[in-house]
Amino acid sequence: MQIWGIILSPLLALVVGIFFLGLSRKIMARIHWRYGPPITQPVIDIIKLFSQKSISHGTIFDLGLILSLAGSFVVILFLPLGQMCPLSSGGLLAILYLMLLAPLGIALSSGEAANPNSSIGISRKFLLALGYEVPLLFILLAVMTHYNTISLVEIVRIQSTTGWSFGSLPLLLSGIAYFLILPAILGIRPFEIAGAGQEISSGANAEFGGKFLAFSTIQHALHEFIGISLFVNLFLGGWSLFGILEPITNTVWGVILGIIVFLIKMLIVFILGLFINAVFPRFRIEQAIKYLWKWPTLFAFIGLIVVVLVK
Amino acid sequence: MSLELLIIVAFGGAFLTYFLGKISSKLRNSFAVLNALALVVIIACLYGQTMEKSFYFGFFSLPLILRNNVLSWFFAIAISVLGALSVIFSLSYMRNRERTDFYYLMMLLVNAAMLGIVFSGDLISFFIFWEIMSWSTCILISYNRGPALAAGMKYIIMSIIGSMAMLVGMLSLYTTYGTLNIATLSTLVASSSHGYLLFLLIIFGITFGIKNAVMPLHTWLPDAYAEAPSPFTAVLSGMLTRMGIYGFLLIMYVIVGAGATLHLGHGFFTFNNILAWLGAITIVIPTFIAMLQNDAKKLLAWHGIGQGGYMILGIAFGTSLGMAGGIFHTLNHAIYISLLFMSVAAIQYRTGGVRDLNSLGGLIKKMPIAFIGGLLGICGLIGIPLTNGFVSKWLIYKTLILNGAPFLAFAALIGTWGTILSVYKFLHNIFLGQLPEKYKNIQKSPFSMRLPIIVLSFAILLFGILPGIPLKVINAIDVSLGFKSLNVTLWGIASDSGTLNTINIFAVVLVFGVIIWLLFKAGRKAPKVDQYDNYAAGAAIPKGKYHYTVDYYNPFYRMATPYLKDFVDVFYMKIAKWTQNLCNTVRRIYTGYVGNYVMYIVLFMAFLILIQLKWSVF
Amino acid sequence: MDRNQLKKWFESPAKMGHKYSLHVVYFCTGCGIIEIPPSITARWDAERFGVIPVATPRQANLFLITGYVSVKTLKAVIRTYEQMPEPKFTVGFGSCPINGGMYWDSYNTIKHLDKYIPIDGWIAGCMPRPEAIFIAVTHLWTLIDKEMADGYKKYKENYRYYRANQEQLYGKLDWPPLFSEEDKK
Repeated sequence: MQIWGIILSPLLALVVGIFFLGLSRKIMARIHWRYGPPITQPVIDIIKLFSQKSISHGTIFDLGLILSLAGSFVVILFLPLGQMCPLSSGGLLAILYLMLLAPLGIALSSGEAANPNSSIGISRKFLLALGYEVPLLFILLAVMTHYNTISLVEIVRIQSTTGWSFGSLPLLLSGIAYFLILPAILGIRPFEIAGAGQEISSGANAEFGGKFLAFSTIQHALHEFIGISLFVNLFLGGWSLFGILEPITNTVWGVILGIIVFLIKMLIVFILGLFINAVFPRFRIEQAIKYLWKWPTLFAFIGLIVVVLVK
Repeated sequence: MSLELLIIVAFGGAFLTYFLGKISSKLRNSFAVLNALALVVIIACLYGQTMEKSFYFGFFSLPLILRNNVLSWFFAIAISVLGALSVIFSLSYMRNRERTDFYYLMMLLVNAAMLGIVFSGDLISFFIFWEIMSWSTCILISYNRGPALAAGMKYIIMSIIGSMAMLVGMLSLYTTYGTLNIATLSTLVASSSHGYLLFLLIIFGITFGIKNAVMPLHTWLPDAYAEAPSPFTAVLSGMLTRMGIYGFLLIMYVIVGAGATLHLGHGFFTFNNILAWLGAITIVIPTFIAMLQNDAKKLLAWHGIGQGGYMILGIAFGTSLGMAGGIFHTLNHAIYISLLFMSVAAIQYRTGGVRDLNSLGGLIKKMPIAFIGGLLGICGLIGIPLTNGFVSKWLIYKTLILNGAPFLAFAALIGTWGTILSVYKFLHNIFLGQLPEKYKNIQKSPFSMRLPIIVLSFAILLFGILPGIPLKVINAIDVSLGFKSLNVTLWGIASDSGTLNTINIFAVVLVFGVIIWLLFKAGRKAPKVDQYDNYAAGAAIPKGKYHYTVDYYNPFYRMATPYLKDFVDVFYMKIAKWTQNLCNTVRRIYTGYVGNYVMYIVLFMAFLILIQLKWSVF
Repeated sequence: MDRNQLKKWFESPAKMGHKYSLHVVYFCTGCGIIEIPPSITARWDAERFGVIPVATPRQANLFLITGYVSVKTLKAVIRTYEQMPEPKFTVGFGSCPINGGMYWDSYNTIKHLDKYIPIDGWIAGCMPRPEAIFIAVTHLWTLIDKEMADGYKKYKENYRYYRANQEQLYGKLDWPPLFSEEDKK
């Protein structure tokens, strides 16, 4: 079971992440009243990028990108995918820290590219991260304090018996705050600051071409998968569906249905995020930080106080 | 191996080094290294032995006691290894400088004094060694003259305040119990009244808080770290400052005892809770101030303050998990911060003392070992998994969350994110980005600099992947201080609510890294290009004036600069100014004219006569 | 459009990838750029062909030079072309890059762009309509299929000729030659 999980969940995340990229382009096109590219367009792009002859700026330019992609895959192993969670040691804290590998790798890689656009992109990326980490940490601490555990698997399991945390009263505010910062975590508009194509030539990606860009694209896909699945796991109960799947827990069909339910939840959250992405322009970085440190932080902070008081 | 041999080797070696230096500098260098290594060997041989030995010198009828236990040994081995590496590092760093004999003397003296502190079994010898350490540190901080003198002055003034506080505490202990033996005190003190215990904890807390730079007492640190010679800064930041943590452990959990310490005060205002909140403040504010620094050593210095907060948070809670986290973080911090200072020192050595982050860049191609040191150092500082900082921070966070202190946990976690921002800037501005034309012909660092960097980098990974090695010793410390034992394995820690297993993180990172690397190799080969073959909207890159790392987080600076000043330092400096003015005024009494002095005497006599006539007191 | 024929994908994935994922660096040299916004937005929607604009030449494989090229701009055009990863395709848009167009007697525009960088196809007209871009794209597909869109190979083979032309115009260039003599062998 664990071995299958280790092999399957990264592949599933890869497929789903790239599917989401394609879907987002298609849906955005439809919102724009366009026909749009085929849903497989990201796959075509990645195949093309792999066959291109790119340039490299040095060893860290290569290794940083490899580290970032490997880091993303490792985080996926620590996230419960339905009932399947290959690794769980260290709990939510380990996930929080493993999630640093990916941006650090990208930052090292494009740091060595010695391109000012890349550096500005990285600086914005880290500032944006600082912006959304403040509410995010309040939210995660509220959840961990409420369930009195640091294990994400445990949090999902408790939710399957007591109901989604989004529906439970003490965590409602935290859930709202998480949804408010979700676009910032995913890096979609209005928080598309770090990779702004028109302003800073796609930021960190400016010197990436060929296979480097392919890796960066895959990493982006995985990053979106991670951001959304963390939300679904923390607040939408992971695989649980109003107790319907309860009788077949731990059977093969239970696991498969659990994953399907989980992915459908992710899809809904993702499409909601896309609608936000479609209608908003881009913030400036200081506007983004001001926003993130105002409403989401307020909600998350009150949420944490409520959780502490209820306990 | 005995303890007196250790002390003799440590102090004797220091002075012998000085005199050998008068004969030949080569002899002195090799003797200094041998001496430092001999200390490591002696201390390593002391592992697992508990001993106590008293020497009577007729000093106020008080014996001086040396003792060894697992807590002392843990700190001693860290001190001696770090001291040895730092001496090795100094070999090339201090070459062609003046007063090197004196430098080595002071360096080894500081080392010896720290060993004395951790091995001393009574408060008198503790105090003596503490003073030797403070004064020799002050001299070393001022080694470079110029602004370093002011930094040394700031340090020694605060240090003296701390020592005086300790002296008051010691006198009070002596008058109450008639002994200063730590082992005896630990059985006697715990039963005294809450008020007295609180007094003891606060008075010693001031001493150790100053040394460990807990937030309102931290102002000596940034200047001292920045101005001291870089190899010494590694020792200063790594272990010397952390003597404060040793002191806190000594007073809180050895002398007063865990049972008594944890129940002092009411409600929110218990001693350990206040200490924990001070720790949290110490994490957050310095970490964010560090973001504004443009001086590499000052940036690290502010992080040194911030990381001290984690240790305080860990040990303040007094659970076995938190204690393990706090003590382990002390060790980890010593490793990565000295590694970072050594990397900076290597850069300084090759660039002619430049440590301004705005004028360096691209040095990765010229000094790869220093880059690896810097990279692993910042990874440890952030707490990236598979480096040692992750394990200790994980232990601390877990303690905080499970003990129902989410706001403290928030302070600790947000400190990490502030750290990422500033240390990435540190790494980027020194090693990544464009290489300035003037550093085109720079050479890689000499071997005596590369060796300590490689050793410490290796230690970061080793303790990150197999944290069980130090955690076993730390667990023994936990047990000796009266906490319950942890279930430590070689690759992590198992407990009832969530385990940590670094080996499987390591395994999956390795496997995915290799798979992706193979995939990367399978793609078309990417030829390496020059840094000037770069996208600049079609223009060619202008050479020599393409520097863009100034104000790296500019939008944030604009928002935060007004709020992120060191207000405490400003306040202290104001007090210093007032004191100076007051003394200036008092000085004017001494005019130098005999007539004036006669007048003072007459006035004073008249005053006395007046009092006698009125109240007839005499 | 044979985009959905799996057989072709298995036979030559790289070629198919290059055909259906044309990432364009639009070089706003002249008035031609005004035709680009309608072609990539809702009215004509270039994305359905897999054609999207990207931010830097490193990420692109199609170079669209829209309008007259002044002598000063040409430097940036050459630089951008050289920074694109291979295989790369170039399309000149409008009559000016072809033969100078209405600037045929100007002192500071170049008349024949293909003297300086290789061009795989031209879109004639002043101005060509957005539909013409799509016709050019479909033609480019045919060329890629028949491996006739080989401008980047020609550039490598005849680099001395191109570099000489470039240096004739500018004297000394700010960057070293892209290919050394050994590379060509």
